[in-house]
Amino acid sequence: MGTFITLVVVVGLVGLAVRSMIKDKKSGKGSCGGNCGQCKGHCD
Amino acid sequence: MAIKIALAGNPNCGKTTLFNALTGSNQFVGNWPGVTVEKKEGKLKGHKDVTIMDLPGIYSLSPYTLEEVVARNYLINERPDAILNIVDGTNIERNLYLSTQIMELGIPVIMAVNMMDIVEKNGDKIHIDKLAKKLGCEVVTISALKGTGIKEAADKAVQIAQKKGAAVPVHEFDKDVEAVIRTVESKLGSDIVNEQKRFFAIKLLEKDDKITEQMKSVPDVSAEIKQLEDKFDDDTESIITNERYVYISSIIGDCVTKNKKNAMTTSDKIDRIVTNRWLALPIFAVVMWVVYYVSVTTVGTFVTDWTNDVLFGEIIPPAIENLLNAIHCADWLQGLILDGIVAGVGAVLGFVPQMLVLFLFLAFLESCGYMARVAFIMDRIFRKFGLSGKSFIPMLIGSGCGVPGIMASRTIENDRDRKMTIMTTTFVPCGAKLPIIALIAGALFNGASWVAPSAYFVGIAAIICSGIILKKTKLFAGDPAPFVMELPAYHWPTVSNVLRSMWERGWSFIKKAGTIILMSTIVLWFLMNFGWVDGSFGMLEAEQLNDSILASIGSVIAPLFAPLGWGDWKMAVAAVSGLIAKENVVGTFGILFGFGEVAEDGAEIWGQLAGSLSTVAAYSFLVFNLLCAPCFAAMGAIKREMNNTKWFFTAIGYQTLLAYVVSLCIYQIGNLFIGGGFGIGTVVAVLLIIGFVYLLVRPYKESATLSVSTNKMFSK
Repeated sequence: MGTFITLVVVVGLVGLAVRSMIKDKKSGKGSCGGNCGQCKGHCD
Repeated sequence: MAIKIALAGNPNCGKTTLFNALTGSNQFVGNWPGVTVEKKEGKLKGHKDVTIMDLPGIYSLSPYTLEEVVARNYLINERPDAILNIVDGTNIERNLYLSTQIMELGIPVIMAVNMMDIVEKNGDKIHIDKLAKKLGCEVVTISALKGTGIKEAADKAVQIAQKKGAAVPVHEFDKDVEAVIRTVESKLGSDIVNEQKRFFAIKLLEKDDKITEQMKSVPDVSAEIKQLEDKFDDDTESIITNERYVYISSIIGDCVTKNKKNAMTTSDKIDRIVTNRWLALPIFAVVMWVVYYVSVTTVGTFVTDWTNDVLFGEIIPPAIENLLNAIHCADWLQGLILDGIVAGVGAVLGFVPQMLVLFLFLAFLESCGYMARVAFIMDRIFRKFGLSGKSFIPMLIGSGCGVPGIMASRTIENDRDRKMTIMTTTFVPCGAKLPIIALIAGALFNGASWVAPSAYFVGIAAIICSGIILKKTKLFAGDPAPFVMELPAYHWPTVSNVLRSMWERGWSFIKKAGTIILMSTIVLWFLMNFGWVDGSFGMLEAEQLNDSILASIGSVIAPLFAPLGWGDWKMAVAAVSGLIAKENVVGTFGILFGFGEVAEDGAEIWGQLAGSLSTVAAYSFLVFNLLCAPCFAAMGAIKREMNNTKWFFTAIGYQTLLAYVVSLCIYQIGNLFIGGGFGIGTVVAVLLIIGFVYLLVRPYKESATLSVSTNKMFSK
């Protein structure tokens, strides 16, 4: 049971990580993590 | 009847503020066709038939930047009915240079002197009536920010536009220059309207090659150019520029009364030292040395040591292990969590304190205005090696993250210079490479203060050497474009701004650890803990690491790095894992060298790593990771900006090859000095150094007639 719960937590963390990366990509956040609108690097 | 009025002026003179005030929400914003320069036009409030065009901010009508070419092509081809020339009253001398050129276009001009409130606050005085008489055009005063004088300026612009008259410039140059201009004017064809002939004649004399694109027939003016150059012993462009400033000086003398007390601002006084011809570079070197020394070696190390030794050594791993034992979690899953995730992610997060200190320094230097001076300082050096200071700005941005740094190369109009900047931007260590620098400096050089700053200067040296070598190839040969930039006044940055900037970058680093690094460590753990033993596939014991999938993959590529001094499969795997994210190198080391277990035993963190590499091999490993191909995200940016697959592979190939050659030379020659013996590797290193020096010093004469079409060479 402990293994199952831990596994669920680890899979959940990975899922959250993937979701975060996809969300950032869609909202236009650059790979640097910053807000492109404020950046002078003109990633868009 | 429809009227077009163009707004023209220097950058930061208040043009856009005025444009917004004149047009309100009746604006359309897009791009000029074919370029990334923004195009803004709108209808004047209360005048539906009057279109206001906000031209890009420019310092002159020369052909050096996209903005200048876009603005003057509009003025020549579209011929608006009037030009509203906004001039920054606090910097009138510089602004008038563009004004003298605009007045040669033959289009009616009204000048609006902006920021008059600041002029008065400074105690200066501009005599508007005298200015109008000297310039031969109407002059009004405005404060675009406060909204004063705007309506009057717009009404006057509409009035002169409705008259549909042609303007005649009143300024005159030296009589010999004027005589030559008249001669060139007489040679111009009927495709040039009379009121524009002076402008075209001057541009031809200045050897402006882009102006010929606007002409149906181009007369030969070489004799007139030679006549002027022999007379004044200077090139014609400089002659004309000088004449303009002589005229401007006469205007300033008569029409502007300066408050003598404000002769030199604090920023000017600081710049006398900071941008001094001889002191600028040493000051820059000292500043960056201090930044990296304090970040990595002193303050940063103190906090990172606590993070590694205590937080990720004595607190988190035992706590998680106790918890997992308490819930009877399976051993393999405990291994994944402790030896994979905690070891890998913990190793990367351990460097967060150093990252934060570095970002704090960089944020301060950017906010106070010093970094703008660095681009100016580097222009002097870069120009000798074929680049301009404009190429340094992407590199400055790249010191945070390579992706926006590569993207920032879009501001470089010259295609060759842009490609060269893209190829060399990632040589400057980005934030993600700092953990590698800190790790090597701390674990293998016992915290020596020179290692971290040297990493930065190795990057700069790689850029300069690349500039020299590549500029001598046919693909990249050519003079760099002139570089003009406005230096903002120095000011104390606000604490909140600096901390916010530090935190934004630091948080992105932490977030990356929790996403990309997390997933990479899980994959690496699986590859490290599963493999074939006695023909059967399964989970391995700790001592069977060399039978793992990871070891198998690493063993294939490791021999490639043997000449560099780190032919061990673990080092090879760590370097390759850096392609996902550079921080991964440290994360991979954390897993491979048993970060978690070492912490439990209380042994010195990174002691196992230190024992597996000599100092020379460690520095070779550091330099390779600094210079080689960047992470996948940055590679994607390179591919997008190059917009050509073959150029992309050329860039990546060049970076990796340079990294390999430099690292090989460092190891082989360094090994010789520490008593490692003379071998075939040493011979290869010496030959490579000779070849490198030859590429640096070889003469190259740019052909006047050869034209290399990269499109044909690198077709998709």
